[in-house]
Amino acid sequence: MFLSSIIDKITRAFLDNNRYLYFLDGLKTTIIIAVGALLLGIVIGTIVAVTKIIPKKTKVGVFFEKLAHLYTTVIRGTPIVVQLLLIYFVVFASLRLNAVLVAVIVFGINSGAYVSEIMRSGILAVDKGQMEAGRSLGLTYYQTMGKIVLPQAVKNILPTLGNEFIMLLKETSVAGFITVVDLTKATQMIVSASYDAFVPYIVLAITYLLIVLLIEFGLKKLEARLRLSDNR
Amino acid sequence: MITVKNLVKEFGTLRVLDDINLHINKGEKVVIIGPSGSGKSTLLRCMNQLEIQTSGDVFFEDILVDAKSNVNEIRQKMGMVFQQFNLFPHLTIEKNITLTPVLLKLKTEEEAKEDAKRLLKRIGLLDKIDAYPNQLSGGQKQRVAIARALAMNPKVMLFDEPTSALDPEMVKEVLDFMKELATEGMTMVVVTHEMGFAKEVGSRIIFMDGGKIVEDTTPKEFFTSPKSNRAIDFLNKVLY
Repeated sequence: MFLSSIIDKITRAFLDNNRYLYFLDGLKTTIIIAVGALLLGIVIGTIVAVTKIIPKKTKVGVFFEKLAHLYTTVIRGTPIVVQLLLIYFVVFASLRLNAVLVAVIVFGINSGAYVSEIMRSGILAVDKGQMEAGRSLGLTYYQTMGKIVLPQAVKNILPTLGNEFIMLLKETSVAGFITVVDLTKATQMIVSASYDAFVPYIVLAITYLLIVLLIEFGLKKLEARLRLSDNR
Repeated sequence: MITVKNLVKEFGTLRVLDDINLHINKGEKVVIIGPSGSGKSTLLRCMNQLEIQTSGDVFFEDILVDAKSNVNEIRQKMGMVFQQFNLFPHLTIEKNITLTPVLLKLKTEEEAKEDAKRLLKRIGLLDKIDAYPNQLSGGQKQRVAIARALAMNPKVMLFDEPTSALDPEMVKEVLDFMKELATEGMTMVVVTHEMGFAKEVGSRIIFMDGGKIVEDTTPKEFFTSPKSNRAIDFLNKVLY
């Protein structure tokens, strides 16, 4: 009795009018935004972290450090939804950029602020003898940073970075504010069309959970690989 | 080969190096000794500009060493060995040795690997070629660190207390390797507390105290008839 009503609801929500296609499209969009933003965030975060850490000798260096601090403060100090609205409807309004692309950029810039601080703590945790050893061999600051310090820093921060990715994935559920049909928005549309909230939202929650499980699994594999050098 | 002129280094109000003048010739084995805090490590680190002096100049082969322009090229010719080894823990022993020469395009990947093999064979650690630094003992790590510096074909080797972080039974293997380098004619500047090594391998002793060079003499002279009271006092405390 209960079971048959559930099956009925699932059929109505996802199979009627091939509504599951909405859901799959939304899933694809969510993954594109999350992965794109993660990569962008790591690039921005690394540049910002190094900018904050590099020894300052020139006025230009000091200027960029201040800029980096301003960036983290502003981005961490304002809600992601407000950032989305501002950038989509104000900054990029005249450019008519694809909303998914804007979402990737905004979430990337947002994530970059958090990643930069994670990365900074990772770099600071690497023994300063590592930088000295690289420099003493004749490598430049950036060569040493790129080949010796950052790889060790990333290993240090991988669990925290995984945390950031999981939060980022879930945060993309507000992308609907700028007309993006992500997983959450697609589900809302299914709810409106099928007059049932229970099944679609439960499926939505489970889907996010499954993606997070997948991320956790991937991270574990990656960490095990990076920890090879720790074996004694 | 290395000339230090009127070198002053201050950390805040603390004057660590006080007007140091020093000339080191090719082939010399200079051993810098002195009580802790006397500025010997700082002097060594100023030579390759890991520490930048407050004033004064350092010359390498008559060229002014300048942290803003030529320091990276000059460091390639000045190998440095640290107290804490500072091997790259995320890289295999082979990669530790080959990374820099390949990255700086001084050798091809194949040449660098050949050299790494030759160096590891020489220090008896060829079987550790694919190991990571954490899998090595302290003495092995330090020998690899020396090999890593040698892979750059340096003209001079700087040693900053290379045996101070080692268990006593591992000191000898490192000193023996350094002795070998010395007999091959490598120019060496060694900051150390190993008086036996200073006596046996050193061709010149620099005794420092309070940021100044107090004695600059031969090992024989220094250990049998030190001139300054400070050196006499120091030797009384370390030779027992």
